[in-house]
Amino acid sequence: MMNSTSTHFVPSRRMGIYEPIHQMGMWVDFKGNDCLDASPPMILEVDPKLDNQSEDTSHGTVGPSHKYDQEASKPPKVLRRLAQNREAARKSRLRKKAYVQQLESSKLRLIQLEQELGRARQQGLYAGSALDASPLDYAGCTNPGIATFELEYGQWVEEQDRDLSDLRDALHSSETRDSELQKFVDDGLRHYFELFRMKAIAAKTDVFYLMSGMWKTSAERFFFWIGGFRPSELLKVLLPHLEPLSEQQCLDLGNLAQSCQQAEDALSQGMEQLHLIVGEAVAKQLGEGNYLPMVGAAIEKLDDLVRFVGQADHLRQEILQHILRILTTRQAARGLLALGEYFQRLRALSLLWSSRPRESS
Amino acid sequence: MQEAIKIPASLRRMVAESAVVVVGRRGCCMSHVAKRLLQGLGANPAVFEVDDKCEDDVLVELRAAELPVVFVGGRWLGGLDRIMASHITGELTPLLKQAGALWL
Repeated sequence: MMNSTSTHFVPSRRMGIYEPIHQMGMWVDFKGNDCLDASPPMILEVDPKLDNQSEDTSHGTVGPSHKYDQEASKPPKVLRRLAQNREAARKSRLRKKAYVQQLESSKLRLIQLEQELGRARQQGLYAGSALDASPLDYAGCTNPGIATFELEYGQWVEEQDRDLSDLRDALHSSETRDSELQKFVDDGLRHYFELFRMKAIAAKTDVFYLMSGMWKTSAERFFFWIGGFRPSELLKVLLPHLEPLSEQQCLDLGNLAQSCQQAEDALSQGMEQLHLIVGEAVAKQLGEGNYLPMVGAAIEKLDDLVRFVGQADHLRQEILQHILRILTTRQAARGLLALGEYFQRLRALSLLWSSRPRESS
Repeated sequence: MQEAIKIPASLRRMVAESAVVVVGRRGCCMSHVAKRLLQGLGANPAVFEVDDKCEDDVLVELRAAELPVVFVGGRWLGGLDRIMASHITGELTPLLKQAGALWL
């Protein structure tokens, strides 16, 4: 009966998220496993107790309710064995309870994962991020705030793709007036601000998830910096596409690039400081077994992480706004198109990479 | 303002005497960011560290939502948001120069 449940959890090599379930399959296979204290299943453990009972029938009925009356008259070896058996049976019952609870929550997670996959497949390019999740980053599935964020982000990307397509058509048409382009620029900027707003809410729900970049594709993660794109990278990407620039514009953009780098460096150094502080808090008094006070102290320090994501997004917002202020309407429109296409290419790169043919071992 | 002086006199003195002051919680990484930014620009900010227990009092007195806050030339500039934004728009460096915080 137990063996049949293990067949529902088919572990896929690529889908590491299934590994915790796979481990429970091993428990079911009676191989013993560290995650459940490497013990043989309950049925076998009860047997020594039954053996004892058959030995002791000459002393009268042996049952849990009578054990204290009978104990005084038994040799110490037997008493010890009885105590050990009771303890083993108790542990076994607890383990079984834990196993059942794990099964229930994993079943739920499986259902949520299947729903997510279905959604991700529908969203085409965006599917890349859900499929290459690592075993440690399954938090998104069980956290409703994160599930909401993932859904909204998928919609955000779709809308972005549509807007970029419209912007491209507008720029390539000779009939488009500057006022129309300005509207595209304003809407484009507002769309980015919408993303920052969504991220701020998600950060309060699970800042680690946001920082991990699991909601983005793998190539975008490669360039990740504190929960998103690097502002100085943005400037480097845009600059060649804004020519021709006036002398004043060159000066202003040069100053902006420098200020941006300085602000970025300050935030990076702050993050290093946070690494140090949290690392020290966690590593305090190792070897004593009791980790709760240290981990509790570390959690307090992690509140700063939410602020870091906020500050990084604030910087991204300020940079975007300021660039567009320096540029003419047409330059700003070209810049936004270039930026949007850059991220589209990164997403395409991720998809191509994850779907490339793999060598068979 | 004279009745409930919860801000220590030492802070008032620091703000009055230093070109730029960062008021931050002890061991806070955001204060570190403010400090590093100002140092990167060539300023040498005085740092006033607030203990956890005094933090609320200081925030009320300064009428601030959170720390760190920065004073330039004896005047309130703002929190980290404000510092970053004013640096990006180019306002910060002239302010620092005016207060005598930069030597170049």
